[in-house]
Amino acid sequence: MGSLVMDNVVSMPGSRPVFGTGERANKLKSTRFGSKLVNDYWNGVFAAKEEGKKVVWYNGTYIPPFFHSHDLVWVHGEAWSAMLAARHQEVRAQARGDQRGYDRELCSYARTHIGQMLIEMDKARAEGGAALEDPRMEAMMKLPPPDMIVNAYPYCSSGQQWDDITYRVFGKKVPMFTIQIPLLWGGRSDAGYMQGEEWHQRSRYVADQLIELTRFLEANTGRKFDFDRLSDTMGYIKKAAELRLEGMEMCKARPAPASFFDWIVSIAPMSFLPGDQNIVDYFQGVKEEIAERVRVGEGAVKDEKYRLFFDGMMNWNKVGWLADKFAQVNACVVAGRYTHMSFWQEPQLIDLKDPILGMAQNYLVCPNNHGAPIMIGEIEKHCDNYEIDGVVCHASRTCRGMTNSQFLIAGSAKKYGRQAMFFEGDVADESFYKDELLNVRLEAMVEAMEAKRRAA
Amino acid sequence: MSPALASMKRAAEQPMEYAAEWKARTGRKVVGLLPMHFPGELAHAAGCLPVVLQDDTEPVTVGQANVFNFYCGLNRSLIDQTMRGKFDGLDAIMFGDHCVQLLGTADVIRAERPSLPILFNQLCTTLDANWALRETLGTFEQLWKELEDLTGHRISAEATTESIRLFNRSRAQMRRLYEMRRRGEVTISGRDMQTIVKSSMVMDRGEHVALMDKLYSTMPRRAVSSSDVTVYLSGHMCHAPKPQIIDAIEESGARVVNDDLYVGWRFIHADMDESLPPIEALAHWYLDKNRKMPCPTRTMQGVDWEAYLLSEVERSQARGLIVLMVKFCEPHMYFYPEIKEAFDKAGIPNLLIETEHEEIPMEALKTRIETFVEIAKRRADIKAA
Repeated sequence: MGSLVMDNVVSMPGSRPVFGTGERANKLKSTRFGSKLVNDYWNGVFAAKEEGKKVVWYNGTYIPPFFHSHDLVWVHGEAWSAMLAARHQEVRAQARGDQRGYDRELCSYARTHIGQMLIEMDKARAEGGAALEDPRMEAMMKLPPPDMIVNAYPYCSSGQQWDDITYRVFGKKVPMFTIQIPLLWGGRSDAGYMQGEEWHQRSRYVADQLIELTRFLEANTGRKFDFDRLSDTMGYIKKAAELRLEGMEMCKARPAPASFFDWIVSIAPMSFLPGDQNIVDYFQGVKEEIAERVRVGEGAVKDEKYRLFFDGMMNWNKVGWLADKFAQVNACVVAGRYTHMSFWQEPQLIDLKDPILGMAQNYLVCPNNHGAPIMIGEIEKHCDNYEIDGVVCHASRTCRGMTNSQFLIAGSAKKYGRQAMFFEGDVADESFYKDELLNVRLEAMVEAMEAKRRAA
Repeated sequence: MSPALASMKRAAEQPMEYAAEWKARTGRKVVGLLPMHFPGELAHAAGCLPVVLQDDTEPVTVGQANVFNFYCGLNRSLIDQTMRGKFDGLDAIMFGDHCVQLLGTADVIRAERPSLPILFNQLCTTLDANWALRETLGTFEQLWKELEDLTGHRISAEATTESIRLFNRSRAQMRRLYEMRRRGEVTISGRDMQTIVKSSMVMDRGEHVALMDKLYSTMPRRAVSSSDVTVYLSGHMCHAPKPQIIDAIEESGARVVNDDLYVGWRFIHADMDESLPPIEALAHWYLDKNRKMPCPTRTMQGVDWEAYLLSEVERSQARGLIVLMVKFCEPHMYFYPEIKEAFDKAGIPNLLIETEHEEIPMEALKTRIETFVEIAKRRADIKAA
């Protein structure tokens, strides 16, 4: 009888997904340098006040070159939330947000960030207390409060409202500057990717706001903005962006030498790390490792059989988990909307003598800021370029900016003979992720791709 | 029910049928208008019927194929209605909001009905930016051109000013009724008030103004019951709450005296300056109205929704606040905690009701509302004593 009871005990999966071949993703080694850069960056943030530097909190697009060129320290709310989620340290922050009444259907980046703000304030109000016993708290306590808030969110209204709340949580006293990066709807007859009247009008509109941003920074620091320094900073970023794109292009090789998940962990150097030689070195290293893998025929996934495209925002709780998940069915996620259609992906637009217009244009072409026809057209180009067999849509529960149009994206994939599937998850709230649903759907997708090959 | 109100009710409940009849009668174009801040005056001046697109009473069925269930009921219903062909009588849709869910909906409509023009001109959302006026003027100038292209004829400044004048009159009529209700001079249910505002969103404005005149002339002036607990309704920023919810509130011994609902005071509270060139009148109307009535979807320092609500609840002599939050409405989810804290601090009873397009458990809701009304009544009695 006792053994029967034991037999009925369900064995729960361990820390790795129990699925498929059991193979792990063959991650790039060169990306480890990024961890050092990220740690150095956060240490610089934590030391900002001691070094007498002013701190900007910002959300949205990759706007730090303006802060870097003006000797400011910057805190990216999304990066902070993503880091907490990637290190599985987000739950307490989200619980604090819940406690104040922020509904769990609200953007989990924002809930994590706002919740952490509230924890910080609780601590500031308390004299010691239980919160200090949490080892995570030590790092959090170092996060300096903002001297300025800058919001520059393309497409997503939730992003703008998030910073409005940040402004309010800090007592409505911190100077705030909000940049509007309008949607490129693409409804006029001359509309196209980076072309047409709307494109030119909107580029100028955002560029003008960026000039205003420099005046805002001047007004709140008492120092003149150095445009030459901005050009220098953008020189490094442009070079790094070119190297990144060259590395991505090499992933057309079979097997693909790097995967979407390698590009995911390479977002920080393009998104918010300082524009200096380090990011050039980072992408030089990545590119060289990719080149070597191409030379020897080493893939990011062992025995690559299927090539996939990832649509949607990253599930930051599950980066390694998902990388292994796909590797276990010999599927390499080669490219994605979030990685390949963002983060200075049009570096040729940046004129280093006068970079602002090109910067504005790169902000405008972020991965969801086009109306669906043009955006899906760009996705299809990537799918053709990388010879994609199927599209995986991550329906991120609280990131509607990235779930918009996913049914149309899936429809387009099927129209061009590619498999498409959805799985549920979220950017920073693990409770929305359902592993077994992904297992079943991924197995079905693999079966369908296999059947199609057999039939061909 | 008066004949005028009955006519409004028909249009409010069947807006697309009303639009089809109007189109057949006039031979002119019908332009759908998506919420929440985009004006209808220019489309009216162009000879079109601007119709604010509403959710309907049908459960979302075929629309599920194109929208996730974690989007708000309005967006899911709009997509569902598109796929059911309910909007096929439209000649165009115009809008300019930045609501991320609405942007997705517009793309689905474009994909499902590629021949339906969508005049998208995104409004500047940073209302206190020094470029806001310039940008907003440009937005409406572009819309002006696009409407001329749609109709094939020029829109004159005079016609636009005339439309502004008509819409101002229409808003003033409805505001007058709001004031009479607030002062307890008329007995009008929350459901009927919603019908009046909603019908103004979908009817020919001239016809609506005439109906309002008739309504005033026949409306009995009588004092309201003093035993009712007066409440203020807040929320639902893009579409109307289900009338059954308002009925449940009023059947529980409460009386709605004011609101900031989109299908309510939010839609009618601000007029355009008839003395300005029309394009400027449109722009200033949009940029200035947030100071009168804050909207959490706009960025403007120095305005607070909760402070506005506290002041309006006091002015309306409401004994409690009922917040009607549309499930998945992000701006409301962001700002609600501050509203709750402010009302708790002020000792004003408040109740949150989360609404959905389908599946509102009315019996459970009634129990909650009745409990809230009892609490509000007791607190009012204690305060009075």
